Amino acid sequence: MGVVALQHYLAVGAILFAIGLVGFVTRRNLIVLFLCTELMFQGVLVNLIAFGAYHGNLAGQAFTIFVLVVAAAEASLALGLVVLLFRRRNTLNADEWRDLRG
Amino acid sequence: MVGPHAAQLLGQALIAPAAILVLCIVAGVGTVMLLPGRREGAFRKIGGAVALAAGLVLAALVARSAVPRSAGDGYFWVFSAIAVAAALRVISHTRPVYSALYFVLTVLASAGLFVLLHADFMAAALVLIYAGAILVTYVFVIMLAANAGGGGAEGAEYDLYAREPVWACAVGFAVMGVMLFVIFDKAGALPAPAAVRAGDSVRDLGLYLIKDHLVSLQLAGVLLTVAMVGAVIVARRYLSEAAPDVSGQPAALGDDNPHNIPVFGTDNPRQKQYPET
Repeated sequence: MGVVALQHYLAVGAILFAIGLVGFVTRRNLIVLFLCTELMFQGVLVNLIAFGAYHGNLAGQAFTIFVLVVAAAEASLALGLVVLLFRRRNTLNADEWRDLRG
Repeated sequence: MVGPHAAQLLGQALIAPAAILVLCIVAGVGTVMLLPGRREGAFRKIGGAVALAAGLVLAALVARSAVPRSAGDGYFWVFSAIAVAAALRVISHTRPVYSALYFVLTVLASAGLFVLLHADFMAAALVLIYAGAILVTYVFVIMLAANAGGGGAEGAEYDLYAREPVWACAVGFAVMGVMLFVIFDKAGALPAPAAVRAGDSVRDLGLYLIKDHLVSLQLAGVLLTVAMVGAVIVARRYLSEAAPDVSGQPAALGDDNPHNIPVFGTDNPRQKQYPET
């Protein structure tokens, strides 16, 4: 790791995570909600890789691979659900589904 | 690459907690203004400029405290600035397609950060999986739902107004402030970093995964398969939702006689009046 030290990367990860959190709470579009969860994943990934490089081992990268796997699985299932919900009400507004009844 | 000055450098890179607090408040106010709402575009542009200025001041403070500079540091600042600015646009753009494209920009900038951290394979995998596969799926779904909501050129109605932007930004930027405070406050207590790994990082990573995480790797494959099958099941169109039946008789769900399947262009009385495509 160069002169730019560990905490700089951790700060970038924290900022990405917080921005994703704000977006997840504020946006109403179902697809953008899931994009914001992916943003939070990005922050976590930056943290994992930075710690892995800091400790000089490969555990961070291995965990990143598993996070990518979970993100891919989550994206496929979530988008399947979004397509299903869109077919029912013809809208992507998350507020339409606040009572969780079909 | 990491010499004896690294520990003393970690001790130097501190920022006053008050500065972090003020910057988070300013960035939060800017983000509240930037989020889509019932205000005109100039107001949102001012908000974006405020948030950007807060980020730049934070970067300048951090950069000032890291005294010995090296040539590769510029890439870190460029990549992180691109990542954070694109992330702000992801949550503030009123059209989901542009949000997805700005997210691709964030992913690419993160991949650049990974390269700086000697994680070459993960940078490539991030671009391939995130920017390549996942985001293409997102864009497909966005295109599928492109005409929903009845909005005009600006986008659907529910994309134009953020939900509770003030409280959400208060909570989100409080979380950010706490995390930044901990990161920069505890930086002096960190032990010295380990030496940079030399050699073929991709080969090392593959050997490490096979040797130490073999079962987890197989489970990841099983998880992906289960998710794929589950997505197909979830998004499947049931027969009752399909095209209206011509014969007037409802097609029985349990009827799996192949001669009863409606086929275009046959003498079957229940054939469809239109081709499949």
